[in-house]
Amino acid sequence: MDNVMLKSKDVTLLEILDRVLDKGVVVSGDIVISVADVDLVYVGLKVLLSSVEAMERLRGAPFAGAGEEPT
Amino acid sequence: MEASARDLVYLYCITKVKPHCADLQKNGIKVYPIYSQGIYAIVSKVSSNNFSEDNLKKKLPDMSWVEQNVRQHENLVEAIMSETTVLPFKFATVFQTEKNVEKLLKEHNAEFKRIIADLKDAHEWGLKIYCNPEKLKVLLEEKNEQIRGKAQEIASAGKGKAYFLKKKKDELIKNILNEKISEYTQNSFEKLEKMSSRAKINKVLPKEVTEKKEDMVLNSAFLVNKKQIIGFNRVLANLKTKYSDKGLILDCSGPWPPYNFCSIRGNEEKHG
Repeated sequence: MDNVMLKSKDVTLLEILDRVLDKGVVVSGDIVISVADVDLVYVGLKVLLSSVEAMERLRGAPFAGAGEEPT
Repeated sequence: MEASARDLVYLYCITKVKPHCADLQKNGIKVYPIYSQGIYAIVSKVSSNNFSEDNLKKKLPDMSWVEQNVRQHENLVEAIMSETTVLPFKFATVFQTEKNVEKLLKEHNAEFKRIIADLKDAHEWGLKIYCNPEKLKVLLEEKNEQIRGKAQEIASAGKGKAYFLKKKKDELIKNILNEKISEYTQNSFEKLEKMSSRAKINKVLPKEVTEKKEDMVLNSAFLVNKKQIIGFNRVLANLKTKYSDKGLILDCSGPWPPYNFCSIRGNEEKHG
């Protein structure tokens, strides 16, 4: 059985950044730096956060609301 | 160290069960819980030398600093995830004082509890699909009736006409290629969506970021329940087999903390 790849030490930085820097709970309040600023100043990831949306076209209509769809 | 350095409070995640923070101190970071009204904020002290607004901005272009700190954030949240359901926060969610963290726990109390209950017994899995369009193109030229028909037309046409027919054929290949990629990625997503509690599509990332020679054609995340994981794996394995000879690489990772399924923004149930 071809199992789902288990997470190991060599999880790419990309996978981690794609989550830790871009997702997760965002709160406003008395935080020192607004998290949105992190997006703006992180030079190395500028390209990641403003990434191309080439898939938009390919996705097609059924995908539009897929984000929050519970099964 | 600057004379004005002061402690700030870095928030990793929120839990309903108190984790064994003592086990998390391998890296010399003292992680501890702040409790309020039935939930715990898991935090550590950080220095304003690194995490004040100005200093963080200076640190962020330093890729190795970012990598170390982002991995540390992730490792901590994962360690806590191995004990209990976590509500993971975004990197560098930093507060001036513990009191302010407490205030957050109070202000969003019901909401945090509701989200944690929603996420119980579930993990996030990621699926990124990459495509080698050249490989798929070769396949289409061999197998696709429409494209083969065009190729035959070209073979039997005069020089001038063949030129235009070839342009048409290239156009046709491009269209069918896009159609096929769309069909395959959509099918993969929908099959896995059926095996999970929730599913989400994210922006595809460009090659500058992925550093792969193939194009990313799908970037998705799934919230998969303990009970669903066997089925999810089975469907994933089938999809991998089905699409591998079509030039598609299905790159699955997990289990992750549910970064993609814990948004407190855009919450319409907030009228209480």
